[in-house]
Amino acid sequence: MSLALPPEALRFRDEVRAFLDEHLSADLRRGAALTSGVFAEPDIARPWQAILETRGWLVYHWPVAAGGPGWSRVQRWIFEKECAEAGAPALPGMGLKLVGPVLYSFGDDAQKADYLPRLRSGEDFWAQGFSEPGSGSDLASLRTRAVRDGDDYLVTGQKIWTTQAHHANRLFALVRTNPEAKPQAGISFLLIDMASPGVTVRPILSASGDHELNEVFLDAVRVPVANRIGEEGQGWTIAKFLLENERGGSSFGPGLVADLRRLLDATGPLKGELATRAIRLSLDARALETTELRTAIELDAGAPPTPRSLITKLVASEIRQGIDELAVDAFGPAGLQLPAERPFYGPGMPAPIGPQAAQPAAARYLNSRAWTIFGGTSEIQLTLIAKAAVGL
Amino acid sequence: MMLEPTEEQALLRDMVSRFLADHVPTDVAGRGSLPLADWRALGDLGVLALAVPEAAGGLGGGPGEIAIVAEAFGRAAAMGPLAECAVLCACLIADGGDQASASKWIGAITSGQAIVAYGGPGEGLGDLTVQRAGEGWILNGERRLVRHGAGAGAFIVALDDAPHLLLIEAATPGVAILPYALADGEQAALVRFDAVEVACEARLQVTPTRRRRVIAMTQLAITAEMIGLMQTLYEATVDHVRQRRQFGVAIGSFQVVQHRVARLFILLEQSRSLLLRAISADDDAFATAVTEAFAYVADAALRLAQDATQLHGGMGVTEDLLVGRGHRRLLVLSHLFGGAIAARAKLAA
Ligand SMILES: Cc1cc2nc3c(=O)[nH]c(=O)nc-3n(C[C@H](O)[C@H](O)[C@H](O)COP(=O)(O)OP(=O)(O)OC[C@H]3O[C@@H](n4cnc5c(N)ncnc54)[C@H](O)[C@@H]3O)c2cc1C
Repeated sequence: MSLALPPEALRFRDEVRAFLDEHLSADLRRGAALTSGVFAEPDIARPWQAILETRGWLVYHWPVAAGGPGWSRVQRWIFEKECAEAGAPALPGMGLKLVGPVLYSFGDDAQKADYLPRLRSGEDFWAQGFSEPGSGSDLASLRTRAVRDGDDYLVTGQKIWTTQAHHANRLFALVRTNPEAKPQAGISFLLIDMASPGVTVRPILSASGDHELNEVFLDAVRVPVANRIGEEGQGWTIAKFLLENERGGSSFGPGLVADLRRLLDATGPLKGELATRAIRLSLDARALETTELRTAIELDAGAPPTPRSLITKLVASEIRQGIDELAVDAFGPAGLQLPAERPFYGPGMPAPIGPQAAQPAAARYLNSRAWTIFGGTSEIQLTLIAKAAVGL
Repeated sequence: MMLEPTEEQALLRDMVSRFLADHVPTDVAGRGSLPLADWRALGDLGVLALAVPEAAGGLGGGPGEIAIVAEAFGRAAAMGPLAECAVLCACLIADGGDQASASKWIGAITSGQAIVAYGGPGEGLGDLTVQRAGEGWILNGERRLVRHGAGAGAFIVALDDAPHLLLIEAATPGVAILPYALADGEQAALVRFDAVEVACEARLQVTPTRRRRVIAMTQLAITAEMIGLMQTLYEATVDHVRQRRQFGVAIGSFQVVQHRVARLFILLEQSRSLLLRAISADDDAFATAVTEAFAYVADAALRLAQDATQLHGGMGVTEDLLVGRGHRRLLVLSHLFGGAIAARAKLAA
C-alpha cells in the first residue's frame, strides 16, 4: 500500500513543471495571485487558455475521443497539483469543465463539431443558466419556459447568479419544455446565443464590490431546436451529470495547499492561535488532496466511482473559507482595506496598505462565503452525502 | 438591579433610533458614513456630547448611555466616527487637553463640525517614534488604520512605548494623509508623520487609569454597535427563512435551518449578557469586563454574519441586501483594536 508516485508519474510531473516554468509568465502568476473572485477574469484567463491549448493540455480532463490527451486520473491530479503550486490562473469552468463534457457526452455530431473547437479556442465563452430567483436548491422547480415554434423554441424567463455572463457569448440553460410533466421530466437543456434579441444581462454586485454575478433576462428569445442537447425532457439527467463534474470533477486540495503556503509566505511566521489555525487548515488541505489522489488511483485501477467524491466540494469550500478568514486575521489592520477599483493587479489600483497580498484579503474573505452556496449549498450536499455515501 | 433602561435612557434610545430610521433608509444603510449634515444634526441633538464629562461641557453619560446610542447605530447599520471621535478623542481632550485645545475641539466634536481621529498603537498599526526637541517633540513614523482620518481636522496619536498622547492638527507641516477605503465602505487613512514638530501643549495629560477607562468606553461602543447589527441581521435571517420557499415549503421548516437559526439566537443572547455585564461593572472591573465582552462579541458577530449569509443563499453574498453590507461592517468592527484574537490573548496573559 502506498501513495508514492511511480517513476513514470514523476517524469510526467517534471515535464509539467518544466512547461510551467517556461510558459507561465510572471504577469499571469501575478494576475492569478491577485484575483479576488472565483475564476480568473478574461484578461488573465484567455492568454493562459491559449498557451495550454497550444501545448495540447487545455482539455486535459477530456477523453481522447473528444480531443483530450488521454491522461490517467493520477496524471490529471499531478497536472492540477503542479498548476496550483506554480500559481496558474483558475480558468472559468463553465465551458471547459461543465458544458464541454456535456457536449461530448450528450451532443450530436453536428453540435460537437460546431461548439467544441470554439470552446477550446476561446472564441466561445460560456455561462451557466441554471438558477432562477425562485429556484436555487430546488432547481427542478425552475420556470423559464421554452415553447416550440416551428424549428425554434421561444424562451422566456429569468436566470440569476450567472457567473461571468457579462463576458459570455453563449449560455447553456435549463428550461421547461413541458409544464405538464413531473418537474424533473419537463426540463430540457438548451444552448443560447447571448447575442439573440431578447437576452438582457444585468450585473449583480457582490458585497466585496466585485462584479462576477449577473441576472439574465430572456424575453421570447428564439433558440433553434437544433441547439437542444439530448432529447426533450432529458435536461435533468444532463444537469445531474454536469453537477457531478461541478462538485467533484477536478481536485481542490492542491489549490488549497498552495494558497495556504502562499499566504504564509506573505504573512511570515504566525503566532499563537493563528499558527494553530494555519496548521489545522494545512492538515485539512493535505487530507483533501490525498483523498483526491487516493480516489484517482482507485479509478485508474478500474474501481467503480466512489461516493467519496461527493465530499470534496463541501470540504474544499470550508477550507477555502478558513484560509480566507485566516488571511484577514493574519494581515491585521491591512486585511481590512477594500478598494473599489478592479482588478487588483490592474494599473488603476491604489497603493496597498501593508503587503500587496493583503490588498485583496477582505474581498476574498467576502467572496469565499459563496463557496458553501454555489454548486449546491453545504446543507444540500450534506443531505446527499448522508444518503448516497453513508446510506441513511 | 434593573435590566430595563431608565426612562431617560429609553428616551435617548428612541430619539436616536427615530433619527437614524428617518435619515438612514435601508437601501443606504451599511454603505458608508452618514453625510456631514446628518452628523451635525446628531450633534444638535446632543448625541455627540454624551460621553464628554459635564465639567467639559458634555452630558456626562456613562457606559449605559454610550452603549444605547452605539447599539442604535448598529441596529440601523448607520456609520460615523462615533466611537473613536465622539467617545475616545473627545474624552481624551476633555481630560487632558489644555484650555486652548479644549475650547477649540470639544465644541467642534460635540456639535459635529469637526472630526478628531485616533491613531493608536498595536500590531500592524505602524511604528511611531518621538524625540524630545526643546520644549516639544519631533514625531516620525506612521499610523496605518486611522478610521475617518481622511476628513479629520486633527489626530490623537498614542505611542507604542511612551505614555504620551499627542494632539496634532491635520494641517501641521509634515503630516501626510493617505485616504483609503475599508471593507465597510468607510474612509480610513494611513497618516504619515515626517519630522513633525509637536509643541509642548499638544501633549494630553491623561492618567493611565482614566486612559484605560476611556479606551474601554470606546471598545464598549464598538461592542454595542456589533450587537445592534447582529440583531438586525438575525431578524433579517428569521424573516428570510420564513418567507423563502424551496421544495414547496419555507426553508425555515427544515430542521438544519432551524438549528442554525437557533444558534444565532444563542450567540445574540450570550453577547447581550456580556455587554450588560460590562455596563454594570465597577470602575475597577470595567476595563476587563469590556475586553471580555469585546472578545466574545467580535467572534460571535462574525459567526452570526457568516450564517446569516449562508441562510440567505446567493442573495447573502450581494451588496444589494443589508446582510452582505452588515457582514462587511462586522468584519471591520470585529477586527478593531486587534480583534477577538488580541482580546483573547490579553485575557489569557
Ligand atoms: C458566487 C455564486 C456563483 C454562482 N454561479 C452560478 C452560475 O454561474 N449559474 C447558476 O445557474 N447558478 C449559479 N449560482 C447559484 C447557486 O447555484 C445557488 O445560489 C444555490 O444553488 C443556492 O440557491 P439559492 O441561492 O436560491 O438559495 P436557497 O436554495 O434559497 O437556500 C437558502 C438556504 O436554505 C438552505 N436550504 C435550502 N433547501 C434546503 C433543504 N432542503 N434542507 C436544508 N437546507 C436547505 C440552503 O442550504 C441555504 O442555506 C451561483 C451562486 C453564487 C453564490
